Amino acid sequence: MPSETFAEDFAAPPTPTARRRRLAPFLLRYGALAVFALIFVTFAITAPYFLSTYNIGNIIGQSAIAGVLAVGLTLVMIGSGGNVVSGGIDLSLAANMGLSAAVFASLVQAGQPDAVAVLGALVTGLAVGAVNAVAVVALRIVPLLATLAVMNIVAGLELVLTGNTVIPASTPLLQFLSSNLPGGVPVLALVLIAFTAVLAVIIHLTAPGLRLYAVGEFPEAARAAGLPVRAYVAASFLGSGFCGGLAGILSVAYLSGSTSGSGEMLLPVVVTALLGVVFSRRLVPTIGGTVLSALFVGVLLNGFQLLNISSVLVNGVQGLLILLVVSATTILRQKDSR
Amino acid sequence: MAAAAEIIHLQGITKWFGGVFALDAADLTVDAGSIHGLVGQNGAGKSTLIKVLAGQHDVDGGRIAINGVEYPRLTPHLVESLGIRFIHQDRLLVPIHTVGEALFLGREPRFAGTPFINRSAMRRQADAILQRYFGIALPHDALISDLSTAQKQIIQITRALLDQPKVLVFDEPTAALVRREVDTLFRLIRRLRDEGVTVIYISHYLGEIEELCDTVTVLRNGKVAARLARTETSAAGLARLMVALDLEELYPKRAIALGAEVLSVDRLTLSGKYQDVSLSLKRGEILGLTGLLGSGAKELVRTLFGLEGADSGEIRVKGQALKQGSVTGAVAAGVALVPEDRRRHGLSLDLTVRENTTLASLARLTRLGLVQRRAEAAEAAGLITRLQVKTSSAEALVRTLSGGNQQKVALAKWLSCQSEIYLLDEPTVGVDIAAKIEIYTLIGDLAERGAGVLILSSDLPELLGLADRVLVMFRGRIIASHLPKDTTPDALLAEATGSNEVLHHAE
Repeated sequence: MPSETFAEDFAAPPTPTARRRRLAPFLLRYGALAVFALIFVTFAITAPYFLSTYNIGNIIGQSAIAGVLAVGLTLVMIGSGGNVVSGGIDLSLAANMGLSAAVFASLVQAGQPDAVAVLGALVTGLAVGAVNAVAVVALRIVPLLATLAVMNIVAGLELVLTGNTVIPASTPLLQFLSSNLPGGVPVLALVLIAFTAVLAVIIHLTAPGLRLYAVGEFPEAARAAGLPVRAYVAASFLGSGFCGGLAGILSVAYLSGSTSGSGEMLLPVVVTALLGVVFSRRLVPTIGGTVLSALFVGVLLNGFQLLNISSVLVNGVQGLLILLVVSATTILRQKDSR
Repeated sequence: MAAAAEIIHLQGITKWFGGVFALDAADLTVDAGSIHGLVGQNGAGKSTLIKVLAGQHDVDGGRIAINGVEYPRLTPHLVESLGIRFIHQDRLLVPIHTVGEALFLGREPRFAGTPFINRSAMRRQADAILQRYFGIALPHDALISDLSTAQKQIIQITRALLDQPKVLVFDEPTAALVRREVDTLFRLIRRLRDEGVTVIYISHYLGEIEELCDTVTVLRNGKVAARLARTETSAAGLARLMVALDLEELYPKRAIALGAEVLSVDRLTLSGKYQDVSLSLKRGEILGLTGLLGSGAKELVRTLFGLEGADSGEIRVKGQALKQGSVTGAVAAGVALVPEDRRRHGLSLDLTVRENTTLASLARLTRLGLVQRRAEAAEAAGLITRLQVKTSSAEALVRTLSGGNQQKVALAKWLSCQSEIYLLDEPTVGVDIAAKIEIYTLIGDLAERGAGVLILSSDLPELLGLADRVLVMFRGRIIASHLPKDTTPDALLAEATGSNEVLHHAE
């Protein structure tokens, strides 16, 4: 029979500090949503074509590719912890997309059917993920450096494969992917929604998903709970690689071929994944948060283009966002750990 | 009474680490359904013995029998299947998990035949088990990071209980708990024993061992110094066995003549922290200060070192007013602080013993902007010898030292600085008895050389053993000043906890 005193001693209500701690993420989350809404309305008023069906489709199309990549980065951030410097990051994602796209387009040029090209792109993406996994898990290189090295290798391979030229590609699959459904909804938008829905179910509803968070947040605790920590980390990099491959296919559809310059996607993707953290109660990366933030960044980029704001400035704004989000979440989570 | 069955029988366990004995034919015999204490200084072999039991270390000799079955070697997996569970000192819980997630990580309730987590079942089971063992309900959506230390401890223990273990090993479970929480933990441990669980309890706190354990194994230098039954255990006796020293030697109090006043504090106030604090410290004096968290004692010490500024009042060092809120000013005036959290504030773990030792006095050892290497090395070597710092060399990283030796290095840093006022914040927390004695001796040396020493400590017997006078702070005020011979630890505790609050607020 448990005695009364146990209850007295341990069932204390959350302290005021605990409540305050929860208030700050709450403000951060709704603050971010309010800023999102504000920017959307501003663009709607100032940029003439912003609200047109064509443009909205364009935004989601652009967001689909960055969104899939950011979801991949989110997997790595979940599996290796939210601290970007010592924890999880995959800098090779954008280059991975470029190489996968080049493989896809080259296979199409070589007369291969869609199925073979899709397989080629996804295997390429997974292979890049596997190299990252080996570097991080087996060789124990911090992800920031490991994936930086892999990024350069992969970008180099892409140049070798394409000779730095555009490889045009047009196939039934690509045409379907770049088309609109009746009603004007771009297929790419559906791909983004379907893919992220599947991943969200895996990450947020299954036991392995929950365990991936444990592995990233507190590896010693995960190990003590009997989880194969290294296998989970490796799996997160493989998942990220797969996303790179998938984004490669989508980019070939969106751009009607493989083009150089995939590296420019890196900054928006990192911004997207980091910003996504703000949309979760626990201040951790989530699939839903990342998708929301992908749309946010998509709107931002598109609005700037419509308003003819120099791309130099866009990069600056993205850098600023990274600083803001990382410092806000770091400060809040430091308070948490006290 | 018939002898209870031995559930764990480790006999003649020997383990070498690189030619050094960690365990030298040590035995551990635990009766089924008892609470067995395991004590010993740091380095006595406690953790090695426990790691042998956990299957993390292979042994170089000895026999292992569990439940009467002999095993040539243990593996973590085998140990788990035998129903032995370990509750670690560090709370291994993921801060962003909810209560249910933390409890069931690795064995989440699922919808049958799918990988999908059944969250309502998870909540139900979490409620049921917390109710069963502790009679408490924690909010479902509370994150681990929102819980108190004691609540986290509960989750950790409950996790281990999910397996219905036969043996539970607690490794320093009370290090972060307050007395009330310790009592609650003890009630639980006794109840578990009464339900048939065998408990192995490892602790530095000998009073706890005396209070809780049915039998105790005392380790010293890798050997069993004694195996005692309940009636034979006393904290003083255990301490004697651990260090082979008499307890009177623990507090080597010397008669030191007091000199001129070196520090005076006049009506110092920091709003919300402490009010109207006045005190005086003389050369050769050891002044004790105690107070609970929130009493303002810690903040007062921080103010004296310039880490915080006060709102009003005055601090004078050797008659000169001290500029407040300036650490540089305090150090220049000869004030030294050895903080409680050495790892964070007192030491640079990745620098060598030599570098840490001379860090605060480099100015004295520098000529033309260059550190005089030879003088620095001599200074460090001298202090290492004087403090008996156990280190492989002056060039070893501080990280590699034991807690007690790290504390000595933190002290050495200020000795080198030749300060005149030493503020010591919990100087012996997490330090074993042998190192404690050396630190006490050192504090005596400081006073003898004419320094004033202020010790902030919650170890009341220690304060009474060391200090010339003990001040008690409660809710921001100094409410009492005692000579050690006129008071007892119990009386000090009553004052610090405000048990006689009415008396002092009636004025």
